[in-house]
Formats: sequence, structure tokens, C-alpha cells
Amino acid sequence: MRLSRRAKILAAVAATVAVLGPVAWFWHSSLLPDAYSVTDMGYHDRGGGPDHDASTAPQAVDALTVPDGLEADVRVTLTAERREFTLASGRRVDGYTLNGSSPGPEIRAEHGQLIEVRLLNESVPDGVTLHWHGVDVPGAMDGAAGVTQDAVGPGGEFVYRFFADQVGTFWYHSHQVSHEQVRGGLLGPLVITPASGPPADVDAVALVHHYDGRRTVNGREGVDRVAAAPGDTVRVRIVNTDFEVMRVWVDGARFRVAAVDGTGLHEPAEVEDVTVMVAAGGRNDLEFTVPARGPVRVNLGATAALLVGDGTTAASERPQEVLDLLHYGSPRGIGFDPGAPDREFAFGIGRRPGFLDGRPGVWWTVNGGLFPDVPMFTVAYGDIVRMRITNDSGESHPMHLHGHHAVVLSRDGVAATGSPWWIDSLEVGDGETYEIAFEADNPGIWMDHCHNLPHAAEGLVAHLVYEGITEPFLIGGDAHNHPE
Amino acid sequence: MRLLYRILAFIIAVEVAIQAAVMVWAVAGLYVWVDGGGVLDSAVLQSEEAPPFDEALGFMLHGMNGMMVIPALALILLIVSFFAKVRGGIVRALVLLVLIVLQVFLGLWGHEAAILGLFHGLNAFLIYGGALMAGIRARKPASEPVTGNATQ
Repeated sequence: MRLSRRAKILAAVAATVAVLGPVAWFWHSSLLPDAYSVTDMGYHDRGGGPDHDASTAPQAVDALTVPDGLEADVRVTLTAERREFTLASGRRVDGYTLNGSSPGPEIRAEHGQLIEVRLLNESVPDGVTLHWHGVDVPGAMDGAAGVTQDAVGPGGEFVYRFFADQVGTFWYHSHQVSHEQVRGGLLGPLVITPASGPPADVDAVALVHHYDGRRTVNGREGVDRVAAAPGDTVRVRIVNTDFEVMRVWVDGARFRVAAVDGTGLHEPAEVEDVTVMVAAGGRNDLEFTVPARGPVRVNLGATAALLVGDGTTAASERPQEVLDLLHYGSPRGIGFDPGAPDREFAFGIGRRPGFLDGRPGVWWTVNGGLFPDVPMFTVAYGDIVRMRITNDSGESHPMHLHGHHAVVLSRDGVAATGSPWWIDSLEVGDGETYEIAFEADNPGIWMDHCHNLPHAAEGLVAHLVYEGITEPFLIGGDAHNHPE
Repeated sequence: MRLLYRILAFIIAVEVAIQAAVMVWAVAGLYVWVDGGGVLDSAVLQSEEAPPFDEALGFMLHGMNGMMVIPALALILLIVSFFAKVRGGIVRALVLLVLIVLQVFLGLWGHEAAILGLFHGLNAFLIYGGALMAGIRARKPASEPVTGNATQ
């Protein structure tokens, strides 16, 4: 039997519809509106906890501030510009500056002080915010555009106020179009010391950032130097502002990892000939004593280093052995019982083909769904939360939870036996599973995303939201908020 | 439609050749850069928007071409094949699409298991040959018999 010409055309049209129909449907359903609230996207995941108790009055996230009347102890004004600038090496970089330089000025405060930072946008066309990476600030001060505030447009300003409640090493960076603005240098270090002063004779920041593919330490290509005398105790505060894990090793002295992500480790042992992995966005504080002869070289990846003391020394080969923080230091209480959580969440990272806001590609998924079909982790104040992060996506992801510090319970089923390992930025390698726990003690709406920031822009972002907290801001909209 | 089918098939073949060319160009650029003192690590690989050497553009082109342009061309070829009177045209277009989807995954999985890079390279030849053959075979129209039992 032969089909008529007409039947053949009909069959061809039907086949076309059968092929294109699903593609068009997936494409159309992936399109995001011009403006939307993060609390309206995806689905609520209550992690086994109860439904919302409507008896408490709702509160908007921008009302979660430090009381106005209090006088600030540390005041800083930061002026953001989009412009060309020169690194110490003479290299011209087209990027972003704060107060004329990148990295921006180091902010130092003592434990308990009230910090007030006035952000002025001189000339960043896309708008700008400041996120206090690792500081568990009040909900309105988190600096996530479209989540906790509107991006500050050119000529505008915003005042951040928060208490220096945590002692440790932190950093600040823009969280508006962050994959571009952080790469372009809109960032700087923040150090909070004990009220009694710095914990070592010499206290130095080693902020590492890539400009145009060149690794820098405190804005210097290659090697930066810190003065120290033999016998001095030294704390080097390593800040990894890049998008990939950084391998660090030390020549010339035995050392301890004194703190991770702004939290001191308990009884860290002296080590040598090991590599310390610093997660993207993460901070590690190393402590050592300058020996009688020669400087100490802290190697920050293969191409950069901080030299402490007089003289020079070449980098040794990177040690094969990696310091495993799961078993480093000695245990002590964490202040809550992670064995009896109120909520249990899964954060499963994968990758599959599909459309992201209409763009075809192979995109990251959260629990199988492409952005915005991702979970909104919903908690109530005071909940003990466990989260299981699995990564089957083929690449490593530095997962960053805003507003909280979580403790690592296990990796790949192996329980942590060392010092409590508190993190805000956790490098989850491909094929790895981490279990973490935290106390929901900081009301707000918090981003929980990959700090390989282009990955966040490719959809690897979810949110943690507290019951009763409402969202007055919009992604997109008049302020053109794009936190990723 | 048959002409369009042929043109699309040949464009896919040319695209495969472009894929090979830009990749070798980028790798060559990488070697020259390393030779001149550049040091590669994963953080440098991530600075794709501001790469330290010009030829890194090749990596970007390879990714965009391979993950978007070529799959889109293969999909269009399949749709055209429904309308074009090309004997075996639908099957060839379908096989090409499957090979191209496989190629995307071999490329991505190669980041985890380098051995898959070998198959990515070999599969490229299958796609190239398949596309070329689809174009050549579509030169003659499928005979459209007036009567029932035409010999073909």
C-alpha cells in the first residue's frame, strides 16, 4: 500500500511535532519571568518538619537588622568603581575596585565590636552589593541582591551594620552578577581578632585571587612578603577568592591549621610535608614559628607564595599527602545533638541536558531538577538541621551556605573523629557525600549555592528560608537584581 | 528539501572538522603559553572569561559549537528528513543525532575518565563520515513510483 502525497506530508508534520513538541515544551517551561521572588520558585522542602505555624506574625527579611541607635566601633566607607587598574606588577586589569584598589582595603575589627560599612556605587553599571562571606550577619545585612536587598545602582549607597561576633578570617565581595564582579576583583579581606589582640606576633592575610588568569597574593603576582624575625609566631590567614580549590603547602617550618572558615580548630597537631586544601571561598589560618635560619614559604598553589621572614627560598614539590580535616585535631562538644535533628535535607548535585531560562545546554541539577525547579529548604528558628550533600555531577563544587556555620559529621560514611570542623564553604568532590549539621539560629532567607560562581549562574543555587520570614525583593525587576 | 538535507549534512561534517581544528589550536596555544612560563592549574582553567592566552578561545568555541550548534543542526536535519524525499534519510539523520548526543556526553564524561576522550575522538570520525555519507547518498532523489511495484 502506498501513502498518498497528502498523507505523507501529514505524517512528516506529525513526526516534526512529535520531535519538536517536547523540545518546545521544555524550552517554554524553562523561561523565567522578568521579575520573581526567590520564595516563589521551586518547591518547599520541609525536611520532615511540621508545616508552617501561622500563629507568628510574618516579618520581612529587610527588617532583620542591628538596632539603629547603637554607635558603631568600626566605620568604613567603600566606594565601588568599574574601571581599569594596575596590579603591583604593572599589569593592567579591566575590572572593579573598592576605594581605588583591588583587592579592596582590609577591614579589621575586634570581637564584640559593631562594624558599619557604607557602600557607595560610583560607577558599576550593573549595580553592586557586599556579602560578608562567612560572617553570620543579621538577615538584612547579607548583601545578596534580590534576596536581602536591592542592588545598589550607580550613585546609590547602602549601609551594612553587624556585630563582630565571630573571631576569625572572612572576606567580602559583591553578590550582584557575582560571577563577573568577583572575578573582576570586587572583593577584600575582613579579619576579626580577639578583643585581647591578634593571636600571634605577626598576623598576615594572604588573599589569593586570579586576575586575567594570573594568580596573585594580596594583589601581587607571584610572591608577596611579610617581615618577621626568627622566633616570631606567625598566623597566615589564607583566603581563597577563586572558583577552584587551592592546594597549600609550607616550606621551612612545621605548622598547624589553627582555623578553618573563621572557626578555631581544637588542639590541631603540628604537621609538615602535607598539602592543605582550601575550598573556593574558604579560609584556612596557618600558624608556625619562624626558624632561626631562612624564611618560611607558604606556597599558595603552584604559582604564588607568601614569604615570611628574611631571604628567599624556592618552592618544594607539592607533598602528595593531603591533610584530612575529618581526622585532624581532637574532638569536643558542638553545642547541640545532630543525632536528633528536626529537619533532614538532601542536596543532591547532578548534571543533565536541558534548558536554563531558554538556553540549551548541559546544566547542573539540585535533587534532579533544573533551576528554578529546586528545593527551598524550609526551617523554623531553633531547629537542628542535618543536610546530606551528594555530588554526582562530574565536577567538584564548593558549597557555600549563607548566614550559618555547619559542622561536618561524615564524608562517604566515614564519621569525623577530629576537632569539630565548622564550615561555611565546603569543597564537595565528584562522587563524594558529606553529611553536615547546623542550628537554625539566624532567621532570614539565605542562599545555599556553589561558590564556583559561574556554576551558580548555571543554576547551582538553592535557598534556606525560615518560617515566617517574607521576601520583599525580586530577582530581576527594576533593580535588575542578579545575585549569581 | 532534499537540497536542504544535503546542505545540512555537509555543514555538520564541516562542523566536525572545525571542532577538531579549534581544539588542536587551543592545545597548541596552551603549550606555547606553558613554554613561555605560564603555569596551568584548575583555577586558571576556570578563568575562561579572561583566559591568559588567546588560543583558549578554541576551548570555548569547541564547547559552544559541540553542545549547542551541532546538536541543533542534527535536530533540524532530522526534521528536514521527514519532508525530504531521501531514501534512508530519516534513519541516517536519526543515527547522526544519537551519535552527536553520545559525543556530548563522551566529552563531558571525559573530564572524569580521560579514557573516554579516546572514544570522543573516534566517535568524531563516525559523525564526520556519517554526515558526509548522508549528504552524498542524498544526491539522487528517492524514486517515487507511479505504479505499485517499481524496482528500486
